[in-house]
Amino acid sequence: MSRRIPPLLIGFAVACHVWSGPTCARQAAAESELRAIAAEGERLWTQSPDPSNPVACATCHHDPAKTRGWAASFPKFKPLPPPHSRVMTLLQANAEAVERHYRLPNPLPAATAITAFLTAQGAGIPISPGISAGQPVFPARMRELAASVVRGERLYARSCGQCHKPFDLAPSATAFPRVVEGRAEPLEGFIERHQSLGQQLSWDGQATADIMAYLMSQAAGRPIGHHTYQASTEGKEGS
Amino acid sequence: MIRVILFAGLASLMVALAVPPDATAAAVIMGTVKNEAGKPLPGLALLEKGEIHNNKWERGALVGADGRFRIELTGGGQYGLHVYSSGYIYSPEAVKVETGKTLEVKVILDPEPTRANTPLIKKAGFFPWEARQGKATFVKVDVADPNGDLGPQVLAFNAATKRAYAMDPPKRITDLKANFPNGVYQLEVDTSKGPINPRDWHFVVADHQCNTTDILSFPHEPKPLKVVGKP
Repeated sequence: MSRRIPPLLIGFAVACHVWSGPTCARQAAAESELRAIAAEGERLWTQSPDPSNPVACATCHHDPAKTRGWAASFPKFKPLPPPHSRVMTLLQANAEAVERHYRLPNPLPAATAITAFLTAQGAGIPISPGISAGQPVFPARMRELAASVVRGERLYARSCGQCHKPFDLAPSATAFPRVVEGRAEPLEGFIERHQSLGQQLSWDGQATADIMAYLMSQAAGRPIGHHTYQASTEGKEGS
Repeated sequence: MIRVILFAGLASLMVALAVPPDATAAAVIMGTVKNEAGKPLPGLALLEKGEIHNNKWERGALVGADGRFRIELTGGGQYGLHVYSSGYIYSPEAVKVETGKTLEVKVILDPEPTRANTPLIKKAGFFPWEARQGKATFVKVDVADPNGDLGPQVLAFNAATKRAYAMDPPKRITDLKANFPNGVYQLEVDTSKGPINPRDWHFVVADHQCNTTDILSFPHEPKPLKVVGKP
């Protein structure tokens, strides 16, 4: 039941095939832009922007069979040197890595692009926060994630719940990053700029990760992403 | 009676010698280390006890020329396994081993594309602490990182005791994500039961960007760094 494609979406897709009006054109343009962002993400994944330090993400993480499941496994507890370990979203984890390895002054655009790439790479994989295929499950990490979900539920009820029911919003949350006015927008960015929250939540903060942990717990089992992207590294496992 | 006791003691000793070493280990992590082309790589396999990157180093093993290693543990649980080989980016991996079980891992290391950012262990030395009449010895390494982002992974491994250590930085740092300074890192070793044997000691350093030194083993004379290159 949870994996059913909403009838409205089916109707929309059929309508776009029959009559490609301006809405469909905008949709196609957004898809195309998102693919471009995913392509940029793949470039950043495989190539360091710092010529003096050529170590890129793909230097170590070059096997798509291993990275394909990453997007669906977030939010999850990220072990970092103390005291920085915490539950993170994929974007937050990417931003942390981009900041550390690429030393970009603003890690958000690169992290968003890499998130788009990894999400597209893993499109269709069922969401399973905290659990990556082929990796051991660590009880302590799952407890941290469970605590994050509880915090997120409280925060959601206080800040978002008056307008949005979680089971309405959770499916949409799986379709980020998206393109808004030609720019990639991660869900964390949307939460940050959302006016009605009553409090400012930063895209990289724990509270944002908690809300997303709650939403993703509601979306567990649904497929991640909303489009596919044929990465140039696909089919070249271990290359 | 004395004969019986002697016989029993001798029998116990023979049994103890006949039993393989892992029989006393509550858990074992063993594995192979290779490059992408399948060539075995020698080096070090060191463990953090608990969550990976917590900097609580415990056990370790030398990785042989055949690329194999074996770490015997006093108990199962969660560990952070870090594998190092000269010229390669180190590999960190969170692992879980159950008490009474053996975990087998396969590690593939990727070569460092450049050594321009690789930290350097300039020298290592062993200095008995005079004030404690030789009962403690300082093990010291002088470390420099060209891109200035050393982290807590300034590590020493004693192959005789199979203990791994994070060495103390020149100044106290509580935030392990902070950049650690260049300079002399040290470790105080209890030598009340016997002097240190420098041949037992191996050193390796990795910075926050995973740039990894060559492993410095006896006679602890650094060699020029080489790029291994993709196989």
